[in-house]
Parts: sequence; structure tokens; C-alpha cells
Amino acid sequence: MSEWLESAIARAQGINDWLAPKRAHALELLANTKWPTRKTEAWRYTPLRPVERTQAKVISDKIELSPVAIADLSAIELVFVNGQFDQAQLTKTLPEGLSISLGGDLGSAQQANALSVFSTIKPERHIFGLVNDALAQDVVVITVAEGVEITQPIRISSLLSQGAESHTRVQVALAAGSRLTVIEDVQAQGESFNTAFVEYNVAANARLEHYRFALQTGSNVAIGGSHFNLHDHAKMNSTIVGFGSDLSRLDTDIIHAGEFADAKLNAMYLLDGKELFDLHATVEHAMPNGKTEENVRCIVADRARAIFNGRIHIHRDAQKTLAELNNRNLLLSDKAEINTKPELEIYADDVKCAHGATVAQIDKQALYYLQTRGVSRSKAQVMLNFGFINELIDLMPNAALAEWIRPIIRERFAQMEVK
Amino acid sequence: MSNTKSLLTIKDLHASVEEKQIIKGLDLDIKPGEVHAIMGPNGAGKSTLGYVLSGRDGYSVDSGSVTLDGEDLLEMETEDRARAGLFLAFQYPVEIPGVSNLEFLKASVDAQRQARGEDAITSADFLKEAKAACKQVNLPVAFLKRGVNEGFSGGEKKRNELMQMLLLKPKLCILDETDSGLDIDALQVVAEGVNSQRSADRSFIVVTHYQRLLDYIKPDFVHVLSDGKIVKSGDASLALELEAQGYAWLQKEPAEDELEG
Repeated sequence: MSEWLESAIARAQGINDWLAPKRAHALELLANTKWPTRKTEAWRYTPLRPVERTQAKVISDKIELSPVAIADLSAIELVFVNGQFDQAQLTKTLPEGLSISLGGDLGSAQQANALSVFSTIKPERHIFGLVNDALAQDVVVITVAEGVEITQPIRISSLLSQGAESHTRVQVALAAGSRLTVIEDVQAQGESFNTAFVEYNVAANARLEHYRFALQTGSNVAIGGSHFNLHDHAKMNSTIVGFGSDLSRLDTDIIHAGEFADAKLNAMYLLDGKELFDLHATVEHAMPNGKTEENVRCIVADRARAIFNGRIHIHRDAQKTLAELNNRNLLLSDKAEINTKPELEIYADDVKCAHGATVAQIDKQALYYLQTRGVSRSKAQVMLNFGFINELIDLMPNAALAEWIRPIIRERFAQMEVK
Repeated sequence: MSNTKSLLTIKDLHASVEEKQIIKGLDLDIKPGEVHAIMGPNGAGKSTLGYVLSGRDGYSVDSGSVTLDGEDLLEMETEDRARAGLFLAFQYPVEIPGVSNLEFLKASVDAQRQARGEDAITSADFLKEAKAACKQVNLPVAFLKRGVNEGFSGGEKKRNELMQMLLLKPKLCILDETDSGLDIDALQVVAEGVNSQRSADRSFIVVTHYQRLLDYIKPDFVHVLSDGKIVKSGDASLALELEAQGYAWLQKEPAEDELEG
């Protein structure tokens, strides 16, 4: 076990709140978990040295930080600063049918309900998920009442100041037939360490639109997960945009717990310098007639390293499943690295399942075409790289978010090419 | 015409693709405002000529010279050739998903303006021009928002090429089998677009297999390209002659092993 984990466990033992049984369970599991090394399959290409060496510490002094503004996006703001829920920044008037509360403030029935769901969607195998179970300070619970459509997106921002460590946790429950959009965003300044996990329970016929932005770069350690439980006819559409850092690791788990659920996941990451980004996406088709479509695209420049592990597990009862996983990667330099591993495990015999992973360099024909129109080679490269990602941005259902992220990505490409 | 300065001069050009010589001593002189048709059988090197002139990777010039407006074209990068006024309308334009047609068109126009020392055009002004160009080539304005050529039909791709020509206003346009895959209506639209761009300071090389296109775009000169060189030149009537008689009478006694080419 590492020193870092030992000190984390020691800190967690002091916490006594409504989550006590869950925290105790997590600590028990952690005590029996080996610190991952290169021999640990889930961490094979992602060394934990940045965790072992981090200087980030929990900062309890109150620091004023607010999330960046996004033009034309009127979101319900939910803000964590250095791991603490900032009640003052929570949008004052919430639409009817939506509730956002600290788990500790809930009435006993609701609390018991929240407790019963806590850490049941996020699988126990995520070591930092367990750390988050044990250490997340302010657990926020969001619920949408049956049949209610919340048109305003909720933005969950986890903000970190220089040198801060934070562990944030949110639980989201969409009751039957409800609709909700959630944006998860971590913004860190300077060196920092965070774990940010969100669990979503999407009841029958409910619809979730989800975004996760992991745009912090530099000497940040950012580890997190978005975990989804889909019931009958539930639908989700998730978009993930990531830039790398010293260590960026994201786990998504999509569980088809009901029939006829429909999941879309579009993930894109763009890495530069010596950055690392690791996405582990797992889909469990436990029930029949489910549908999953995953598109993961990655551009790696300089000496950066990208890892993608896409697992689709189709259980014996999950007949008539349709699952597609497509992973395309572009390498911009000889020293850039991509480790991609699509994994299909199929135990049902009547399913349609396809996967593909490609690693390529830029399309020479397209480059030539742009040049014949007078566009310089370097500018053409930027355009083509951008286009590769822009195809997925075009699929983002929220236009304001697409308009916001597009220039940020364009800027990043311009920087990648300048070197 | 004879004392006018040439726009394009090709002298004894030899060029290869992957070590195989395709252009074998080609001469061509084009003056401003002229329309030259290059016809010839498949495999004669018609498309290769356009690729060589535009500087495509893998197409190497073994000997000979090419000047555009007196400048050595072969010394320039592909993008600089475009900026110098060369435009190649492709037979098979590539699809570039994710890059919007509008963005692509504006980047092209801006790159060429920049090369001339002009400022980038404002987005609003450009949109106006692009919409007008769409109308002229009979493409719905929605095509500006789509990925470059993405999912376009053959005819739509050709019209998109034409639209680029309208916006870039080149000095020399090479139309590489622009008629292939077009029905008669699309052909007329393209031909009208080309004809509208004919002017005293713009020249065209119309590469085609069939005479049909030349009913709509009247050439000043017709050349027959066979086995990498021009074997016959004449006026528009040569095209009709070819249509009637085919190419065989112009290919003089090819060696046995070249017959299948």
C-alpha cells in the first residue's frame, strides 16, 4: 500500500456521518486492495507516480472560486470549492420537481433512500472510487420527480485552488419519465488532486443528457467516474471531452438494468506534451433489447499517452442487444502513444455487436485537397485534426455547450501545432 | 494573340508516378483567356497532368519546365501554386467530415487573400459571397454547413468544386473530367458556371474523355493526349472528329505490350 493511500485511510477514519456504514465498507475493501502497479490490468499504462508524489493537501480555509461563464447557457449551478459544497453559489430558485440537497440535510426517509443507492451503481473495483466513498466530504443528492422535465441543465463544477485536494460526490436520481441534463466539470488551478464521482439512476422512460469536461492540464491528478444505471426504456446521451494532465483517469460504467434502454457515449480527448488521459468505459448489458453506441476519438501529439479500454459485456439474458463501439485515434508524432483495447464479452447468442479500433495518421489526400485551395500545410493539419473531433462536437445535443467548447478545442489544436 | 504573354508554359515535361513514367515529353502553351481542351483515352495521363501541375505528393517531375505567369511553378509548394492562381477541380473531390464547407471555403479564400497581402474577409461578408456562389451553382445554402463534400452526390461534389472556383477566382482552372458522373442537367449547370467565369484574364484546361462537355464549354483549342504527350492539336472541330472516329487512329502503332494500357 502506498503512503498516500495510508494517509487517506487514516483521514477517513475520523469521519462519522450519515454515510458511516458505506464509508466503513469502502475502508474495509481498501484495506484489502493492492496498490495498483504496472501489473494491475486496469492501471497498466497509467503509472500512479503522480499520486504518490502529489503535494496537494486538503484546504479547509474558505477560498472564493467561481465557475467559468458559458455564453448562452443558463444552468442551475452546483459548485464545490476544494471539495466543499458552496451553498451560496447554488442557484436559489429551483424549478418544481427538482431537489438538490446535501445528503446530511435530507429527511430520514430520503436519506435512507439515498444511502441505499450510494455506491451501488459505481462498481467496487475502482480503487479511487472507494477512496471517494470514504473521503467525499459533502455528498450532494439530486432528484427529479416523476414525469418532470427540467429544461435548465444542472452544472456541477468542482473547483480547485492551487495545491488543493478534493473529493466530490454527487448522486442523481431521475424518477420515471423525467428528463434532465447534467454537466460535470472540474476546473483546477496549478497542481492539485481530485476525485470526482457521480452516480446516476435513470428510472423507466427517463432521459438523461450528460456531459463531462475534463479540461484541466498541467500537474493535476484528476480521477473520476460517471456511472449510469438504466431501467426499462431509459435513455442516456453522454459526451466526454478531455485534455490530459500528469494523470487524468476517467471510468464510465453504463448498466442496462432494464429492457430497451438506449445509451450513447461520445468521448473525445486531445493530448499534448507529456500528458496522459485514460478512459475506461464499461457497458453491462444485463437485460434484453438494450442498445449502446460508443464513439471514442483521440488525438495524441508530442509525447503524450492515451489509454482507452472499452468493455462491453453482454450477459446471457441480454438477447437482442445492439452494441457498437468505435474507437479512432490519430497520432501526431512518432513519440505519441495510444493504448487501445476494445473488449467484447458476449454470452447471449442473438445479439448484434460490433467494435473497431484504428490508429492512423492524418489523411494525406484530404491534406493535399486543402493545400490545392491555398491553405498552408500546417493550417490544413489543424483543420483536419479539428474536423476529426468536430464530428463528435456536432453531435452534442446542447448547442450552447458545443459553441463554447469548439473555440477551446480549436485553440488547443493551434497550440499543439505551433510546437 | 501571338504577342500576348503566356499564362502557362509547359516545355518537354516528363513526370512519373511511383517510378513509372506517365508524362513523356509534353508541351503546352496557354495564353490568358484561352480555353484548352485536353482529350484522350483512359490511361493517357490526363489526370496525372493536373496532379503534377498542382504538386501532389508522389508525382515527380523528371525533366522539363512549367511556368505560370513567368514563375517557375515546379519550385512551389502546392499551396503556393494555388495562391499563384492555379486551381484544380477534381474528378473525385475528397470528403472531409467534421470540417464545414463554409469553414473550408473561408480558409481557402483567406489564405489566398493573405498571400496577396490583404486582410481576412469578415465572416458576414464571406457568408454573403458564399450564399451567392451557392445560388449560382444551384446548391442549397444548407450545403455550406455540411462537412466538405460529405455525403454529396457526384453532381453536388462537382458543383461544390465549381463554387470554390467562383470564390477563389483563379487565373488558370484545370477541370479534371468535370463531366464524369453528371447527368445532362448537372452538366449544364457546371458548364454555365464555367462559362460565366470565362474572361480575358482567366484560362481553362478542360480535361475530358468525351466531346459532350465541349458542346457546352466551347474550347479555343483541342489537344489529344496519348501515352503521355500531345499527339494532335486543333480547334473545336477536332473534338467532333474524335467523337466520330474514336482515339485509335491517333495512337500510332503502339508496341504489343502497351496495348492493354
